[in-house]
Amino acid sequence: MRVVRKIKIVISGPFAAGKTQFINTISEIQTVRTERKVFNPEERGVKEYTTVAMDFGKIRIDEEHELYLFGTPGQSRFDFMWEILGEGALGIIVLVDSTDPTTFHEARKIVNFFQSRFPVPIVIGANKQDLPNAWSPQEVSIALDISEEEGIPVLPVSAVNKESVKQVLLALLEIIRQELTSQG
Amino acid sequence: MALIGDLKSFNIVDILQIISKDKKSGILLVEWKDMTVVYYIKEGQVIFARPVDRVFRVYAQRDFDLLIEKLRISKENLFRTVERFLIERLHMKEGVFSFTPGFVKFGSNHYRIVYTMEKIIMMASRTLTPEEVERKISDELLVFEPVEGTQGLVESAELTPQEKKVLSLVNGERSVFDIRRDSGLDNLTVDRSLYGLLAIGAIRRKRKEKKQNPSIALDLLMKIIDRIRGL
Repeated sequence: MRVVRKIKIVISGPFAAGKTQFINTISEIQTVRTERKVFNPEERGVKEYTTVAMDFGKIRIDEEHELYLFGTPGQSRFDFMWEILGEGALGIIVLVDSTDPTTFHEARKIVNFFQSRFPVPIVIGANKQDLPNAWSPQEVSIALDISEEEGIPVLPVSAVNKESVKQVLLALLEIIRQELTSQG
Repeated sequence: MALIGDLKSFNIVDILQIISKDKKSGILLVEWKDMTVVYYIKEGQVIFARPVDRVFRVYAQRDFDLLIEKLRISKENLFRTVERFLIERLHMKEGVFSFTPGFVKFGSNHYRIVYTMEKIIMMASRTLTPEEVERKISDELLVFEPVEGTQGLVESAELTPQEKKVLSLVNGERSVFDIRRDSGLDNLTVDRSLYGLLAIGAIRRKRKEKKQNPSIALDLLMKIIDRIRGL
């Protein structure tokens, strides 16, 4: 039996940042979701269902390799899942809802969480750029205290747009490529 | 594009940091609980503030010099409006803000600035609650480093002796825990100082040194890149 090697990229970010949509847009399979009804009144005002364990999408690379996209739950009460999903990841994409500054501090905490545990490349997707009141990636970057020296690009993205999602994934892969080639 | 938010979750330090970083010009409107105040920002500095009863009036007057002439306020005394309608409100935690860049046409004249943006940010940082501070200083293992070439910023911030002490301890090696211990100051004072220094750009988070090499072969990675491009 042929063994298929799995390569993992984690998609994280605060509640309602657009993680499930991001995976849906690019995945070749119907995204596997673990959603439950939202009961918290504040969160319920935003959306009715939320991811409680993970989302899972897949892109076939060749006969022997598949790229797995794992979406984490957004709420910090599920941070034990962040730890589990981050293990062995090639890189991490943290999505931020650019229209909702109330989630920016939470996004920074998520970046800190992954930075301290998994020293792999991280990119930030300033999502929902298609909406009228979205903060620009540069403004999101300042709000998240991402300095240039930190080496974490903040990129514009609209998770409903396949080309846009591809660009974020490619940016992450490019950083990994640079790290590999710099090793000689 | 306007930046809109709620001060409960994105406090006045945070919004001033955004405005100051790129030396933006424009109008910051804050609907405080008791009144709506419009702040006129020129190149990252708050130069004038005035309460408004109807917001549309703000947008009816684009020429700043004409506006202050109409209001009979001398350029020398503009800072007093900042003092009254911003400095005295820095402790307030409830309000909704919107920042519209551009829009106002400022004259080429210099306006007297007593409260520099760095000074205002540090003053506001001193009023932060433990909950607000925890949003950025969330981990006592965080390490900060000083940003070179920011002496001017630090001088115009007019730091307190405690803040100067905290800044002197930031060296890219000490963690928040170490700074709290070595400063002899209470945790909240240290954290407020770090929050403010981060906001004015005098310090930044130290980049983590990558210790883990990517666990993938270059040819496989190139295959993935090609595959994604082709989707």
